Amino acid sequence: MSERKLIDARGSFCPGPLMELIAALKLMQLGDEVEIYSTDQGTAKDVPEWCAKVGHEAIESGEKNDHWFVVVRKAK
Amino acid sequence: MATLPLYIVLSSADRDKMQLASMIASVAAVSERPVHVFVSMGAIKVFDKSKSGNDRYSDSAFNTELCDKNAPDPIEMFSQGKMLGDMTIWACSMVLDVLGWDESNLVDDLFDGQMGLTKYLSDAEEGQLMTL
Repeated sequence: MSERKLIDARGSFCPGPLMELIAALKLMQLGDEVEIYSTDQGTAKDVPEWCAKVGHEAIESGEKNDHWFVVVRKAK
Repeated sequence: MATLPLYIVLSSADRDKMQLASMIASVAAVSERPVHVFVSMGAIKVFDKSKSGNDRYSDSAFNTELCDKNAPDPIEMFSQGKMLGDMTIWACSMVLDVLGWDESNLVDDLFDGQMGLTKYLSDAEEGQLMTL
């Protein structure tokens, strides 16, 4: 059964949130999901762009209260 | 279409330039784009392992803000990019010669070795090159 991990990267500057996401994905199983929180507005666009380039799936993104979030499914 | 390798020549110890270089290098490397960094001229002093923290860098227009906000250190970002992506870092053999240094003077576990400019430029013909 797939799992969802949370990475709270609020307060981390670009490209810190992306790097934290990539480090986490390396340890996850195919189909697992990870949700990342970031106060860096660029993350909301950078992470889906990175996923499209390397072959993971950005399945949800948006803004919540004081931060942006992206949900990524490990697809390779 | 295959992604073109990115060749980044570092020539300055300026914190702004080093910060941007480490960001570009690490993001490209983790985006399945091979990155090859060539460290020359004053930039080599940033990687002097006897120095630490902000003492590594020359002052620059954005240095105070980067320090006040605890922006990630460029050395750490280069290390992270190497660990998570496809990146090599080469020390310019000419500047090591001028300084009387060898690789043991440089930050541990970061450099892939030393290289001459001719070989680096020859390799770079197959990619895109930027200098900071």
